[in-house]
Amino acid sequence: MDELDLLKKDWQQKARPEEKQLTSKELHPMLFKKSSSIVKTLFYISIAELLLWVLINTIPYFSSKEYRAELAMMYGNEDVLLAITIFSYSIILVFVYLLFRAHQSISVTDTVKNLMKSILKTRKVIKYYVIYNLVMAFLAMCFGLYESIYENPKVSAQFAHFSDKQKFVSTLIMLVVTALFVGVIWLFYRLIYGILLKRLNKNYAELKKLEV
Amino acid sequence: MDKALEHQFVALLEKHQNIVHKVCRLYTNNQDAHNDLFQEITIQLWKAYPKFRGEAKFSTWMYRVGLNTAITLYRKSKRTIKTQEFETVSFKIKAEPYDDTQDQQLKLLYQAVYQLNDIEKALVFLYLEEKNYSEISETLGITEVNARVKMNRVKKKLRTVLNP
Repeated sequence: MDELDLLKKDWQQKARPEEKQLTSKELHPMLFKKSSSIVKTLFYISIAELLLWVLINTIPYFSSKEYRAELAMMYGNEDVLLAITIFSYSIILVFVYLLFRAHQSISVTDTVKNLMKSILKTRKVIKYYVIYNLVMAFLAMCFGLYESIYENPKVSAQFAHFSDKQKFVSTLIMLVVTALFVGVIWLFYRLIYGILLKRLNKNYAELKKLEV
Repeated sequence: MDKALEHQFVALLEKHQNIVHKVCRLYTNNQDAHNDLFQEITIQLWKAYPKFRGEAKFSTWMYRVGLNTAITLYRKSKRTIKTQEFETVSFKIKAEPYDDTQDQQLKLLYQAVYQLNDIEKALVFLYLEEKNYSEISETLGITEVNARVKMNRVKKKLRTVLNP
């Protein structure tokens, strides 16, 4: 007998003693237990992501009047601030729609490969959302720095005393620090998703390899 | 969801629960993890059941949901720590035939199967369940030719374990 037939025969034997045959009474409550699937985790992460950036975007509107006035002054006038806020909320809405569609397309009855593909697609939407927010955060920080150096009388007076070289070095340092700050947040995200999706990525790569 | 659907589903699950047990047997290495995965597959099957139209056999549909849960959706619980992996073989093969050589061969084969990656395990599982290549390719989402090529490689790999 072929070795693999031996394995097949053993495999197909009746249930094993350690695999307890459950009765319908035991199976029924299992239907309503909480799932701990990766899709659910991704769903909660995406919701948290959306809320976090919505909150960050909302801060100017709930902070003090002075701060808002300062921001409006920075952007030229209140209308620019309003336009920027409307724009950022529209982007968030677009991402909500994309995420909703991505989650809808995940189906456990799909083929193994397609299921992995749709989960990775959802992860991609979250990734682009994070990238968008980090780029915007970086730009806002740079803009804020520029404004405080050239528009804030106290800071600009101090900056005026600097030699060209000092100005260049201090601007460079500020830019590097801002970039580092954004970079660290990005690494943090990569780490979270890296850990969460390690197995999925490995298996997807394995399936893709079969096609070569 | 209505009670009749619940009862209908539970009756089918009770009848075919061995499929779920077998998926768990292949993808877990201790009793706790086995139970966890069984639980998760049950949830996923139930969630997908309202969309089950009966075009495919219930058992065929179970293979797909079971494998998808084991390979992709299931997150190993904290209890499934790596140091427990050595338990695998003794846990999986109790009550085997008494023939020493066969017993030894089986032990080696199971050891080799547990060392395969998740995708190879899925192939072996469907092969052991006597699924044809068309069903294997439909379940995994790869072409029949690729399924055949990969399966032959895996079979070869398993045979070398016994005849190095």
